[in-house]
Amino acid sequence: MLGSVPTTPKALQDYAPVIGEERVREIRDLAAPLAGARVLHINATAFGGGVAELLGSLVPLMNDAGLRAGWQVMNGSEEFFQVTKAMHNALQGMLIDWTPHMREVWLHNNLLNAQLFDEDYDFVIVHDPQPAAILGFIAELQRRHPAGYWLWRCHIDLTHAQVQVWDTLRPHLEGYDGAIFTLADYVKEDLGGPQTFVVPPAIDPLSAKNAELPEDVQQGILARYGIDPAKPLLVQVSRFDPWKDPLGVIEVYRAIKREMPDLHLVLIASMAHDDPEGWAWYERTVRRAGDDYDIHILSNLNGVGNVEVNAFQRAADVVIQKSVREGFGLVVSEALWKGRPVVAGNVGGIPLQIVNGKTGYLVNTVEECVQRVLSLLKDSEKAREMGRAGREFVRDNFLITRYLRDYLRVFREMRGIEPLRGESAATAARVLD
Amino acid sequence: MYGTLAIAPRSIRDLAPVVGEEELAELDRLARPLRGLRILNLSITAFGTGVAELLSASVPLMTDLGLDCQWQVVRTGEQFAPVNRAMYMALGGRQATWSREMADVWQRYNAMNADLLTEDFDVVVVHDPQPAGIRSFVDERRRAATRWVMHCHLDISSAREDVWLLLRQHVEPYDAIIFEAESFAPSDVRAHGIEIIRPAIDPAGPRNMDLSPEAVAGMTERYGIDTARPLLCQLSPLDESCDPMGAIDVYDLAREAVPGLQLLLVATVVPEEPLARASFDEVARRAMDYSGVFVLSGLNEVGNVEMNAFQRAASVVLQKDLRRGFGLWVSDALWKERPVVAAPRTGLLEQVIDGETGFLAESTEDFSRRVVALLQDRSLAARLGAGGRRHVRENLLITRYLSDYLRLLGRLTGALT
Repeated sequence: MLGSVPTTPKALQDYAPVIGEERVREIRDLAAPLAGARVLHINATAFGGGVAELLGSLVPLMNDAGLRAGWQVMNGSEEFFQVTKAMHNALQGMLIDWTPHMREVWLHNNLLNAQLFDEDYDFVIVHDPQPAAILGFIAELQRRHPAGYWLWRCHIDLTHAQVQVWDTLRPHLEGYDGAIFTLADYVKEDLGGPQTFVVPPAIDPLSAKNAELPEDVQQGILARYGIDPAKPLLVQVSRFDPWKDPLGVIEVYRAIKREMPDLHLVLIASMAHDDPEGWAWYERTVRRAGDDYDIHILSNLNGVGNVEVNAFQRAADVVIQKSVREGFGLVVSEALWKGRPVVAGNVGGIPLQIVNGKTGYLVNTVEECVQRVLSLLKDSEKAREMGRAGREFVRDNFLITRYLRDYLRVFREMRGIEPLRGESAATAARVLD
Repeated sequence: MYGTLAIAPRSIRDLAPVVGEEELAELDRLARPLRGLRILNLSITAFGTGVAELLSASVPLMTDLGLDCQWQVVRTGEQFAPVNRAMYMALGGRQATWSREMADVWQRYNAMNADLLTEDFDVVVVHDPQPAGIRSFVDERRRAATRWVMHCHLDISSAREDVWLLLRQHVEPYDAIIFEAESFAPSDVRAHGIEIIRPAIDPAGPRNMDLSPEAVAGMTERYGIDTARPLLCQLSPLDESCDPMGAIDVYDLAREAVPGLQLLLVATVVPEEPLARASFDEVARRAMDYSGVFVLSGLNEVGNVEMNAFQRAASVVLQKDLRRGFGLWVSDALWKERPVVAAPRTGLLEQVIDGETGFLAESTEDFSRRVVALLQDRSLAARLGAGGRRHVRENLLITRYLSDYLRLLGRLTGALT
């Protein structure tokens, strides 16, 4: 057995005020024939990043829906985690020197984990490339495809994957029964074997990052960080790297500040200690901000956590996500859920979340971004209207309950259970329209 | 010029409701002769450490008091990172690999950083020993024109000898060396001035600002904690140094007398390194055996406001610390009038006065006995809570820290003229 991860129990019923009784009932109906099914999620880390956040909500909700879901984390040497970090980067398009030794480290650690695997499940979901080779080794050890359906869940964009690394990974995926991708565009054409599904990620409306905030907490946080709620505020929450273009955001802010001298900007950097590139970009951004104290650069390492991010997003007049490259960009849905209009880069999963001109604006350049943000700051009625539309759009498409529903549909399809009345057979593999 | 940090301006007046006018007037009186004094604070990181937290609270207040106070971050590199870490461990008396080559890298980076000191300052305060070699490599004129202070935030009383020998030749010529407690200094340190300035908390910061009971309940219950039942809480790194397993033992024993008891462990440091990760996993795995034990970490993106809420929700705060160092989380808890049961470690002894602001305990049985007593006797808990707040109010608030600094700066620059 691998390392089990404890999760906080959650009740589907708590989501009824958010999504309505009918949708809760639909989930229960979908789950009914799966009652008691043993589900195991395997990934590389219990914390940090979107995957762990999703699992922290999904696993307890699956349990509440009547399945027996668990989450385990693979073990690995320090070298393994370095190798898989490089592998992860290469699969997202970065060029790395992929050596036979690295391949060996990856495989060897997967083998060791396969040897620890000693229980049967009805569905096993293996997340991302780190543990992906485990299935092949278990099959070898057991001399058969292990019990249950095995699904590979890919959370990353493989479009520009480095060929060598993808060629290492691909043969280990072929034994899976299913493969779940985040976007239709990310499905690898040359992946033969597993049936493919598309399930975009989602946010938990009841989490500390998204739940309603008491007024005193909201005001208190703004005051502690020196933000005057009476003045216009732009907010971007992102990693600090060239792909999130924090310098571009400062340019946008500067251009608008000429017209609106009261304007404030909050940049919240999500940083890791072991990410020198992030630090270099942090420093560059700070230098660009110079001694303009209306630019607030904050970081998780300063104790800016869920509740603080929640407060800043709620306080924003316009939320910016000026990405020039993006995986999915779920932070856009977080902002939309709070009824904020969002101006964001037209890349990755962002166009899926922003209906251009309705729930926000998609932009490609600094100039476009300036123009759109300015128009929203000047037309508060329009901004409010977009915020409202954004919240409804997220309610329909990007809440954790939809995510749970999609998983249940995938499971049903694997087991050959008829779709619910009114559902098309292909819905599990659907792409959002 | 080093990496600068933009810190939003802040008014010392914000603290008036907490500390009163008299104390602010005193700070103003101390600051008046120092107005315009150019001070550079140099640190190794911009965030994630107690030092960074102290600087981000104190620098804007110093500026508001009229001093020309800056904070810059020294330049490091990939080669320096492991040396920095090893030096930190070795000075703390912990296991570390240290070699001649590492000493060379350390000196080289300090020399490189010395070349970056291109502006004139009246006082340079170097925070922590890792960048403290800079002074030795600065040109003669600038070295003489500046008062040099090393503010050591570590307990280096049991530093590894070779590393201390290397460091002492660079720091003993400083005009002053600040330690956080008398006992943190090596017994053989010789310097022009040894100063003791205890660290401090910012009562107006997000970790200590007032929160309504409803807000506290909302933020706590989300993680499955029942606010109607008693709760123990420990905020610390979840590695062996803070004995999270021992905290679970205490909980396990105490719940025999207090049914329904809960324990919340919050990792204040993100466990990124494999060893830290392994201990975290171990704690998380053990917690699974108890429905009343909750484990959270910065990786759940728990921030200051949530930490604040957790402390307020706690019936008793534990600090089963085995480390050296100050452990300022305890002051945060005392400020919120939470009774604390802590291990008798040097830094904690400055905060927990046995029977007055909390209890000191060593064994699991002692800890548990104190916890149970506090849970069963509300008036005792209230009395210690009130004592804790009073103690912090008098000794461990940022205003006291500023006053200590202003006095030191006054003495040092008086020597300048």
